[in-house]
Amino acid sequence: MDRRTFIRAGAGAGLVAASGGLSAPAIGQGAAAKTLRFVPQANLANFDPIWGTQYVVRNAAALVWDTLYGVDANLVPQRQMVDSEEVSSDGLTWTFKLRSGLKFHDGTPVLAKDCVASLVRWSFRDPMGLMIKAIQEEIVAVDDTTFRWRLKRPYPKMLLALGKNNSPCSFIMPERIAKTDPFQQITEYVGSGPMKFVRGDWVPGAKAVFEKFADYVPRAEPASWLAGGKRMLVDRIEWVIMPDPATASAALQNGEIDWWENPIADLVPVLKRNRNIRVDIGDPLGNIGAFRLNHLHPPFNDVRARRAILMALDQEEFMRAIVGSDDNLWKPLPGYFTPGTPLYNEEGGEILKGRRDIEGAKRLLAESGYKGEPVTMVVAQDQPVTKAQGDVAHQLLKRIGMNVDFVATDWGTTGQRRALKSPPAQGGWNIFFSWHAGADCINPAAYTAIRANGDGAWFGWPNIPAVEQQVANWFEAKNLDEEKAAMRALNKAALDNVVYVPPGFFLTYTAWRSNVSGITKGPLPFFWNVAKA
Amino acid sequence: MLTYILRRILATIPVMAVVALFVFSLLYIAPGDPAAVIAGDQATPEDVEKIRQSLGLDRPFLVRFGEWVWQIARFDLGTSIFTGLPVTQLIAQRVEPTLSLMVVTLILAIVVAVPMGVLAAWQAGTWVDRTIMAFAVFGFSVPVFVVGYILAYIFALELDWLPVQGYTPIAQGVKPWLENLILPAVALGCVYVALIARITRATMLEVLQQDYIRTARAKGVSQRDVLFLHALKNAAVPIVTVIGIGVALLIGGAVVTESVFAIPGLGRLTVDAILRRDYPVIQGLVLLFSFVYVLVNLMVDLVYTLVDPRIRY
Amino acid sequence: MTAHSPDTSASIDVAEPAVVRRRMTPLRFVRRYPTITIGTVILFAVVFIAVFAPFLGTTDPTAISTRLRTREPSAQFWFGTDMLGRDIYSRVLYGTRVSLIVGFSVAILASVGGLIIGLISGYLRKVDAILMRVMDGIMSIPSILLAVALMALTRGSVGNVILAITIAEIPRVSRLVRGVVLSLREQPYVDAAIASGTSTPVIIVKHILPNTLAPIIVQATYICAAAMITEAILSFIGAGTPPIIPSWGNIMAEGRALWQVKFYIVLFPALFLSVTVLAVNLLGDGLRDALDPRLAKQF
Repeated sequence: MDRRTFIRAGAGAGLVAASGGLSAPAIGQGAAAKTLRFVPQANLANFDPIWGTQYVVRNAAALVWDTLYGVDANLVPQRQMVDSEEVSSDGLTWTFKLRSGLKFHDGTPVLAKDCVASLVRWSFRDPMGLMIKAIQEEIVAVDDTTFRWRLKRPYPKMLLALGKNNSPCSFIMPERIAKTDPFQQITEYVGSGPMKFVRGDWVPGAKAVFEKFADYVPRAEPASWLAGGKRMLVDRIEWVIMPDPATASAALQNGEIDWWENPIADLVPVLKRNRNIRVDIGDPLGNIGAFRLNHLHPPFNDVRARRAILMALDQEEFMRAIVGSDDNLWKPLPGYFTPGTPLYNEEGGEILKGRRDIEGAKRLLAESGYKGEPVTMVVAQDQPVTKAQGDVAHQLLKRIGMNVDFVATDWGTTGQRRALKSPPAQGGWNIFFSWHAGADCINPAAYTAIRANGDGAWFGWPNIPAVEQQVANWFEAKNLDEEKAAMRALNKAALDNVVYVPPGFFLTYTAWRSNVSGITKGPLPFFWNVAKA
Repeated sequence: MLTYILRRILATIPVMAVVALFVFSLLYIAPGDPAAVIAGDQATPEDVEKIRQSLGLDRPFLVRFGEWVWQIARFDLGTSIFTGLPVTQLIAQRVEPTLSLMVVTLILAIVVAVPMGVLAAWQAGTWVDRTIMAFAVFGFSVPVFVVGYILAYIFALELDWLPVQGYTPIAQGVKPWLENLILPAVALGCVYVALIARITRATMLEVLQQDYIRTARAKGVSQRDVLFLHALKNAAVPIVTVIGIGVALLIGGAVVTESVFAIPGLGRLTVDAILRRDYPVIQGLVLLFSFVYVLVNLMVDLVYTLVDPRIRY
Repeated sequence: MTAHSPDTSASIDVAEPAVVRRRMTPLRFVRRYPTITIGTVILFAVVFIAVFAPFLGTTDPTAISTRLRTREPSAQFWFGTDMLGRDIYSRVLYGTRVSLIVGFSVAILASVGGLIIGLISGYLRKVDAILMRVMDGIMSIPSILLAVALMALTRGSVGNVILAITIAEIPRVSRLVRGVVLSLREQPYVDAAIASGTSTPVIIVKHILPNTLAPIIVQATYICAAAMITEAILSFIGAGTPPIIPSWGNIMAEGRALWQVKFYIVLFPALFLSVTVLAVNLLGDGLRDALDPRLAKQF
């Protein structure tokens, strides 16, 4: 560390110490103390957050690229790169003005044309972006710091679209990079976020390194999730990819790493016993399991066969297979939306509550005309969450008298096979498993898996007009009460017709060394305001 | 001799061609879609299809194979689908850890195993021999990851002598480099210790019965000299053979060892690439493996001619 | 391998009765071949377990009950339960079947395949070069890659695990056989047989096959042991036996993340695997010494 960064780091740390009662960082400890070593949930295999939408890419990208708006801990979008916005009284014209001092990592200023190019590319890949694109008149840069978006119809959820944490986020890139085809990968990783990506140190599958961007100007407001001042209190962040949880656990106990994003629950008691380690729930919005049925082919083209599974399904069994013995980590979910969020409801959820009815399920299954035909269940073995769901579902289906053809495979193959609409005997499928981040399941905006528009729907292709009607009602809702009403009807319609089977809601822990402070709960790991003593 | 080497090197070309065609066809018919993995779970089928097209994965087999061969002819292994980085770069940045692991493992295995084998042969039939051989058989029969966990638990977590995981390039100092490699090398080396000790013992037994050893003994050459100078020199041939085979086996073992000890080596790159269907990376790696394999066997054969003058080509 | 032929095969002479035969009583057999005896006894015990697994106090090895997960070994669950609440004792006992099937199948298939290719290669000079290059090629492909590709191609299954390991092992056997054949061809009595117009198949069956059997049997035992270990490694990366069929490999692979807190999940299958592999290796060592003492130099 040279002297200048040293002084800056000290100053930054002092600022927090003064402002927030954090323990004062040990200034004399040298370079090692200012490198934060983090074990992410998965490998950072590519680094284009628009092209590739895996959560791990989004999490890394949030360090390097900034967004126009950012949602805070109350899920309200707040200004981030934007200084002010103006919407015309008819709701058709949005004018945005950038705040001053924004700079890309290559030293060039952030201009309105960069935002325009970035939003255009993003709008090809994002569900909300696509909706805006469908009604847009034009998007243009008015001058260096102002751009305008004109629409044919009002889009009340504009700020949420620009500030949401769901992948893909509308990250702002320089125009020359943002001009890349949205279906092709960018080759340059230049953003205006608080950290620079050190490309030379990137070893995909093993390591990714970020360095503090000296010219980043944080907002004055306190940080809250993606909103507020993103102050970096470490100089360097190293993402170390560890494929083996036992190793990550040992490395954290030994102090070789500072922060482990998602420790497996069974190891948490060991970590908690260690005085030097802190453990807490990582993402309060959690995850929702997905037991996906193919609506195109028998037996699950019949709603009675789908309902039979709901009748017999024991969510505790599924959740314990995923999260282990810890009761803090799961909740029953008689519905489809994230518990603890404003629009959560259990309308129509009785079928998932109370005693499980195996005999009733058998009868319903027989009524649907099922006669022991093989049911193809595709289970990815290399993802713990899909593997656990597959193991439990296998037993469940056997119990209600189904003849399960268990196809053990990997995630890559599942990804391809689930896209095939052909009958199971001809390479298709009946069942596969996945999971959705709770942050995506707060409402229908980013929740593609709840949609039931037939061929346009997510894999399984449910075609249920009643569900689609309620989705439309929510988008058009003008106030919270209308939104709530639409969501209650949506939950009921989705359960009555079984868009997919929800095996439950689960949370994960995150664990860090006690000399690290400032870690907050959120849908992604936030590195700003995290200090290391 | 030179013509022999040249002939052998030329013979690698058909080998590599066989491997290349085989692996390419296998990957082509195997399902699995990198585009789906890239697009993420929320992506629509249309998005996935567009990504697949932009990656050129929708084109027919012959076109793709032809393109790839043409690339290789220009010493270009292509670009990784996921990272967008050149395959040569991805491989290059991972060669050092794997090479280090293999070298340390082999040295460790030889240093431990050869004296064990010699001792066992010298004491053939006694309890010393039986103990050593029992240990050797045992080393064969425990999966490498079990050994790895136990070692990490004792020496890293409980005793805190060595790091749990990771790799430090040798450029940053031999000591940290070695500290990171000791546990994985011991875990991976168990099998080789077993293998090499057994072969050393067997070969030594054979050699010790040869006439010239008896003559040497009769002439009063000390026991130690007989064992290490005369006998071991002749036992070198099969030991070298095992090392040759061992290098191929090491690649398999390295995958697991590298995962357990979080070493950023070629083994993990291989598994990651396979599971994600990063075709150019898999193809590049397999070519590399087959090349190394052929090369090592060539070197083994050459070493024969050095240690055993009776063998001529 | 050109590597093998010069030193090993040159010394394999026609087997000759080394000792004057006496009546072999069981006791004498045990004394002379203690390793064979121990190996066989253990192996018989393991086979017994595999065959009679349902009658040895086991329950359904796939029955999940996540409320009973990760229980320590007790009177009810002798080896404890795993992270899905399945009884590890039952899983380990049933898993014996998979490990034995994988070990034996790979040993037999690789031996037969290797024998055929080795015989052809050693006997027909014309195809020798091509076959050996192909073998070189196959040997250089990591069996892990083959296994994952096969799993993706169809699905994870015991058959695919066997196939993937077998393909990787065939070249080693075929090289061994080829070396033996090449050296036997030089023997005067084989020359004489060829000269007297004996047909090739007869020469192979009468003169060559008997002399290749000993090294192959020995080799097969090692392959058997190696295959059981490889099965475990394949499960480790998720390309092994599917989870609905318990195998020692996938029990260990599934439990490995918990080894620091629930070590018994890995311990019991690892013990069974080690003891079985030990038995197979002991048997191999014993057979080697018994069938052909000169082979001792090979391994």
